Amino acid sequence: MNTFMFLFRELLGAIRAKSAAYFALAGLLLFLFLAVVSSFFLLTPVEGTSPEAEEPIEEIHAFLSATLSSATIDARYLEFRERPEVADIQFRFAQELDPSATGGVFVIVPVSNEAAAILISELELQSGVTEVVEVAQEVTAEEAEFSLVVRIGLLCGLVFTIAGSFVLVRLGYRELLGVFSGEVRMLRLSGIAARSISVLIVCFGLLIGILAGVLHFVVIYLVHQIVVSQPDPWRILEAAAGGWRTVGLGLIGLALGSILGGLMGLLGASLLHAREFDPLP
Amino acid sequence: MIQVSELHFSTEDGVKVLEDMHLHVEQGELLYLVGPAASGKSLLLGLLAAQTPPQRGQILVHGRNVVRLGPEKVLELRRRIGFLTQGYLPLPRTVHDNVVFKLRALGDYQEQAEEKAMLALETTGLLRQQQLDAQELSSIDRIRLGITIALCHDPLLLLLDEPFEGLTEEEVEEIGNLLHRLHNGHLTMIVATRGPLPRIAHEARRVELVDGGVRTR
Repeated sequence: MNTFMFLFRELLGAIRAKSAAYFALAGLLLFLFLAVVSSFFLLTPVEGTSPEAEEPIEEIHAFLSATLSSATIDARYLEFRERPEVADIQFRFAQELDPSATGGVFVIVPVSNEAAAILISELELQSGVTEVVEVAQEVTAEEAEFSLVVRIGLLCGLVFTIAGSFVLVRLGYRELLGVFSGEVRMLRLSGIAARSISVLIVCFGLLIGILAGVLHFVVIYLVHQIVVSQPDPWRILEAAAGGWRTVGLGLIGLALGSILGGLMGLLGASLLHAREFDPLP
Repeated sequence: MIQVSELHFSTEDGVKVLEDMHLHVEQGELLYLVGPAASGKSLLLGLLAAQTPPQRGQILVHGRNVVRLGPEKVLELRRRIGFLTQGYLPLPRTVHDNVVFKLRALGDYQEQAEEKAMLALETTGLLRQQQLDAQELSSIDRIRLGITIALCHDPLLLLLDEPFEGLTEEEVEEIGNLLHRLHNGHLTMIVATRGPLPRIAHEARRVELVDGGVRTR
């Protein structure tokens, strides 16, 4: 075992229950920070801006000639209602949608965009159908508001978790270095460079960051597995079905965890400038 | 050999602690540096050990000018010096592990460190206490352990700051005899103390630190 490993083991040996609790909580908050970052990419926004998420299913407005008898309209209504491509169908007066229009209109919600294409081509061929219009479903005010609340919540979560993890890791380092101060003084007195001692502290922070990153990778992978194994996954987690996206986010989390862990280590190493670590009284 | 010339040192408040100080210590000499509290004894040892950055003057330690040493050379010099600090407190581990920790930190492998530690503990008479918790040692054994740690890596220079502090008269004599035995005419040693001195100290040169300078007694 070389000198670095020996000293690193000694540093780990100086961890007591209190400092361990601080470091564990800091690591957990760092993991939550990474999870929040990932959720920005994994949770499908209501507006559907995600490139891998499916486009929202559109409505079809089929305008009917005013000359069509009510019996014909009834028959066509029943015919379309039974079709597997149709999720929902309603009859409305055309003036409800366009004040200048006459006659009626079928408002059809297809089961998918593929089904919509089939329905449109068939409707256009039907006699008595004057116009077929595809209309994107509008995001309701409640949905948009919910999405905004979620985003603000996630942003608050980002700030809280990162700030909390840095505060906790500083408390942990204060405890740890308090126990390890005698060793630090002896190392300095014996001619060990202050830089070498700082490297130990930074490496410990890096270790916390890497562990948080690995935990994040595992959790994100499990979410991916759950999503792909479900026949009808929650729409909000549809983006997690993408394998490359999951791996990419896992790796980004690992890199981000390592960087933040390194910064935590630097924060810990800055405590070594305190007078209690001077080798001479 | 140690040569200190025109050494000046002032505190941040402007109090002059060392003023135009000159000191010469021969290779293999045992020197007692005597003086009242706050006379600058610990400061001088810190300067000789390259632990305290010098301000003005010349400090030659074994041919190296401490004032002009770069950071790497300073570390190298520190590794060649054994230092017992004032009010030394051992690490919370066994006597044996205290010594091994320093040797491992300086790059020795475990077996090598164990071997050197046993030899050093035997030299200072602590072999029987090696498995005891170092923080439960008596005052004299604590000083012995500090001396063991200071000399375990075979230094060129041994600096001891107040090794008789808190000891009974008998213990002072015991530590004095130990120091003279360790010195044995070849290890350069400087012992800073405000007293009391062991009787055997009369066999060595003694200088007094007064008004920022030294005076031979």
